[in-house]
Amino acid sequence: MCSLEEMTLLRLEEAFLAMLAHVGSSILQPLLLAGPEHSEPWARECLCLLQQLHRSSEQLQEVTEQSLQSLQKRLHQPCTAGLESLLMLGSADRILQVYMEYIESYTSCMVVQVFQQVAKRKSRYWRVQFGLLQKHLPGMSFEGPVDAVLAQALRQPLVQHLQQCVLLLLQLRDGLGKSHPAQELVTQAITLYGNLQSFLQQALDQATATQALWHSLSSRLKDALCTPTRRLLQDSQDVPMTATPLRAERVLLFDDALVLLQGPAVHTFDLRLLWVRPRRHECTFCVLTPEEEFSLSARDPLGRAVWQWKVSRAVSQALRGKKDFPVLGAGPAPSEPPACRSVAYTFSAEGRLCQATYEGEWCLARPHGKGTLKWPDGRHHVGNFRWGLEHGFGIYLVPKATEDQFDCYKCHWQEGSMCGYGICEYGSEEVYKGYFRAGLRHGFGVLDSAPQAPQPFRYTGHWEQDQRSGYGVQEDSSRGERYIGEWQANQRHGLGVVVTQAGVCYQGTFQADKMVGPGILLSEDDSMYEGTFTRDLTFEGKGKITFPNGFTLEGSFSSGAGRGLYTQSVLDTAALPPDPSSTHKRQLGVGALPVESRWRGVYTPFWDFAHAGCPGELQEALLGFQVQSSRELRRSQERGSPEDAAGGTEAFLEDLLRPRQPAALRRHLGEALSAAWHPLGKLLRTLMLTFQATYAGIGANKHLQGLAQEEVKQHARELWAAYRGLLQVALQHKGQALEDEDAETRDQRVHGLMLPLVLPSFYSELFTLYLLLHEREDGLYSQGISSLSVFPDTKLLELLDVHKHLWPLKDLRLTSNQRSSLVRDKCFLSATECLQKIITTVDPREKLEVLEKTYLEIEATVSRVLGREHKLPMDDLLPLLVYVVSRARIQHLGAEIHLIRDMMDPVHTGGRYDFLLTALESCYQHIQKEDVRLHRLPGHWDLRDLR
Amino acid sequence: MAIRELKVCLLGDTGVGKSSIVCRFVQDHFDHNISPTIGASFMTKTVPCGNELHKFLIWDTAGQERFHSLAPMYYRGSAAAVIVYDITKQDSFHTLKKWVKELKEHGPENIVMAIAGNKCDLSDIREVPLKDAKDYAESIGAVVVETSAKHAINIEELFQGISRQIPPLDPLEKGNNGAICMHGGKPPAQARRCC
Repeated sequence: MCSLEEMTLLRLEEAFLAMLAHVGSSILQPLLLAGPEHSEPWARECLCLLQQLHRSSEQLQEVTEQSLQSLQKRLHQPCTAGLESLLMLGSADRILQVYMEYIESYTSCMVVQVFQQVAKRKSRYWRVQFGLLQKHLPGMSFEGPVDAVLAQALRQPLVQHLQQCVLLLLQLRDGLGKSHPAQELVTQAITLYGNLQSFLQQALDQATATQALWHSLSSRLKDALCTPTRRLLQDSQDVPMTATPLRAERVLLFDDALVLLQGPAVHTFDLRLLWVRPRRHECTFCVLTPEEEFSLSARDPLGRAVWQWKVSRAVSQALRGKKDFPVLGAGPAPSEPPACRSVAYTFSAEGRLCQATYEGEWCLARPHGKGTLKWPDGRHHVGNFRWGLEHGFGIYLVPKATEDQFDCYKCHWQEGSMCGYGICEYGSEEVYKGYFRAGLRHGFGVLDSAPQAPQPFRYTGHWEQDQRSGYGVQEDSSRGERYIGEWQANQRHGLGVVVTQAGVCYQGTFQADKMVGPGILLSEDDSMYEGTFTRDLTFEGKGKITFPNGFTLEGSFSSGAGRGLYTQSVLDTAALPPDPSSTHKRQLGVGALPVESRWRGVYTPFWDFAHAGCPGELQEALLGFQVQSSRELRRSQERGSPEDAAGGTEAFLEDLLRPRQPAALRRHLGEALSAAWHPLGKLLRTLMLTFQATYAGIGANKHLQGLAQEEVKQHARELWAAYRGLLQVALQHKGQALEDEDAETRDQRVHGLMLPLVLPSFYSELFTLYLLLHEREDGLYSQGISSLSVFPDTKLLELLDVHKHLWPLKDLRLTSNQRSSLVRDKCFLSATECLQKIITTVDPREKLEVLEKTYLEIEATVSRVLGREHKLPMDDLLPLLVYVVSRARIQHLGAEIHLIRDMMDPVHTGGRYDFLLTALESCYQHIQKEDVRLHRLPGHWDLRDLR
Repeated sequence: MAIRELKVCLLGDTGVGKSSIVCRFVQDHFDHNISPTIGASFMTKTVPCGNELHKFLIWDTAGQERFHSLAPMYYRGSAAAVIVYDITKQDSFHTLKKWVKELKEHGPENIVMAIAGNKCDLSDIREVPLKDAKDYAESIGAVVVETSAKHAINIEELFQGISRQIPPLDPLEKGNNGAICMHGGKPPAQARRCC
């Protein structure tokens, strides 16, 4: 059953629709036609606004018609269509939307005085139209100026209709009774229409005030400020307000900007980038904007409160991007505008950011968070910002002279400049990977030339203020040369060693990229030249050549006009032939390039990080970029483990404190050293890089073995110190102190714990150097081995004078057509096999353990043969060991032995490991002897022994 | 009390009883558990000396002539050398003299030499008179005793003699918390703080 109120509503909608139609046809359409006849900008703007108003009006008609239809439908079929089917109740929001749009369009026209502009010209025509309209718009006065009537005719129907709607809906609700299901719906609609009335009123008030303002301002100011959508919210002429230090005669708050007027000067501040901060003073508050900061002061606290409230609300509204409904400040919570926002802004003040556009997150008027900064010259920064400056990871592009060439920095930033690890791909195609400080390459880094450069190079080393400085290695592939040594201001300067592709290497003192004074040059045939020579390895000036046979040639040298070497010198043939092992094992750089000062720059970033207390935010700057991804990886692997919740440094510092027992500590250090996210792991990887850059490729030269060997030990010492440094930080976090470590304990830890852990990382390059250094002896040894390998077991035992009662003949299993004297590789097989395992490990200690087990196998075999325990004296042991070594046929045994000896924990010196190693070395030496190599028969040996 | 590690090298012809002397010296006191040995070729024994403990690290060498050239590897870094001859074999005393000469020329500086005339239980078939040995030892400033590994005669005395000849630690280095003292490249004698 349809109520009386609904019937009335129906009539109301009918009347409203009719009114709208009349207004549309009699006013809006003529207005559009009467629109601008010339194409001035303002005229086009007027037309646009009128078109907008027309569209809004049509929408209004449309929605009113739908509302009417819904009412009619309910009238005819009250049973199927409930109250909620009415558009006014069920879809009130939609109606609201359309009404608001209409109000917006209308007030925009009002503000820019569209009606006045139009009315100026055709007043007579309009008088006729008004006459036609009069009977359709009852209760409206058509007296007065044309523009006022036009404005009223476009406004009045809406105002009236809203009033009547609210009244009727109230009646409808009262008629429904409290328990009616649609009660709530109707109440909502009432509120909504009530709010719409308030909204309309506020919009009209604001428009009136704005219109008045434009009227009062000079045309220049008006042109500068006036836009159709801008509304005045507060004026310092109403509530006085002054600004400091920016001066302002007048302060205007619009819905999108705060404007300060001072004479002809206009300061406009976008509300979205305006922050309000309270001040102690009760009449003042502070305004922050990206480039200005000023205080606004009212005459009294009340005035301040009004302004502060309005500004805050206006900011909130501007940030939301739509009008508060129903009135300013009534929008959804939060009442205070947020401190952090995301807006684009172009800086105009002189300085670093002049004309640059920042797009991204802001906090309290400064870029803060993620954002993009673009300069008009094409520079580009994408990354993290903190309080207005680049901070954290960022990518920075700097365009180069030619198009599509950029210097691209992927780097960590600290307070506006590059600091920490970064990669720079230059426009010239050079690539730098390393550390920066204050925006410059500083610390350790690797610079690669462009792949197609005419003189390709790679520099691995230290930088200072963007220049090569300190210790560094530069490979010059076009010259086939590698310089290892000291640098200053991008030039070779100080002591340096040069190795060449050809195998020649020299050591000298450099100044400003040139070698000065005498140097030492070692050529491949093991002759040595001490004196002055050129970069092209031409001997020039005073010098002395020492030939491998011990002859020396001392005097002055020069390169002649033609080819060859001219010399005036003394040849000394009297010297005794030197020990070949000393001439071909000469080492360069040892002592000249002190190992402690070689790779300082690698450790500097680490120690900076540790001394700062391992702050999490610096971790990534230290490690590079893997932190995030590897942390995620780790998290996915250890799902559900809570330790990563804090992430970063806390996690690994916690880890450090856990294991203290040697085995657990070894495991922990091993994990740390192999982990990409761990500072120790990063250190080790960087050191591997330096090691390869120095000793791989051209650097695999036997004369560098000394440098390499001491470097590895130094790395172990430094890494142990680094571990202690981290431990100290971890303990400090817990309020504890790290107990001191005496030199002896430290040496034990370094050699017993750290060195075996880091050695595998350097092993292949290091072993290659040992291999080259001992090539000659290893060659003789191989000859010895192969000559001994032709002997059957018993023959060899006899040859080596092993007592017959020690021969393990029980081990020989013979087939019917074999004789024991012909069997090979059967005796002491277990010891032989054991010894062969020495090459399967890298750790010197494990190698020594293998050696000890080999001894035990020999002893066990002998005891079995004798049927009782037997302690072998050296008279018996050495021949047996020679036998086992010759049967094990280990390649490059000399390199192995010397590497073990150099890397062995000094604590073992003189002890049983030292003894075993010496025994092994003596076997190695023995096998190299001429009589072993040259197949001397036992008879000959006996003769020699009897000599 | 500080423990000083002293490397001692055993030289002498094969069959003169080098390792028997050491076995006797070491076997009388059992500290094998603390310091594992390499058969009879490498043994250790700790004895008190004054206010120090001397831990002897005794390195045996092969006596065969053909291995002589390998000996420098063994005696390098030694604090003392025990050179053994057989009193019943003149040849072995001759070899001893060669060893002394070699040590003087190529051995570590200040190496303490001790001469042991072994098998003194067989003095009835003696070929080397005690006086010869004593005169010789005096001429080179070496410790000398006639020993019998079989009957455990003069074994302790031999090593005590060596201990007495080892110069005490430099007081300066001693103050240095018992750290290892280095002489040149290889430490001939090491001192370690007692645990």
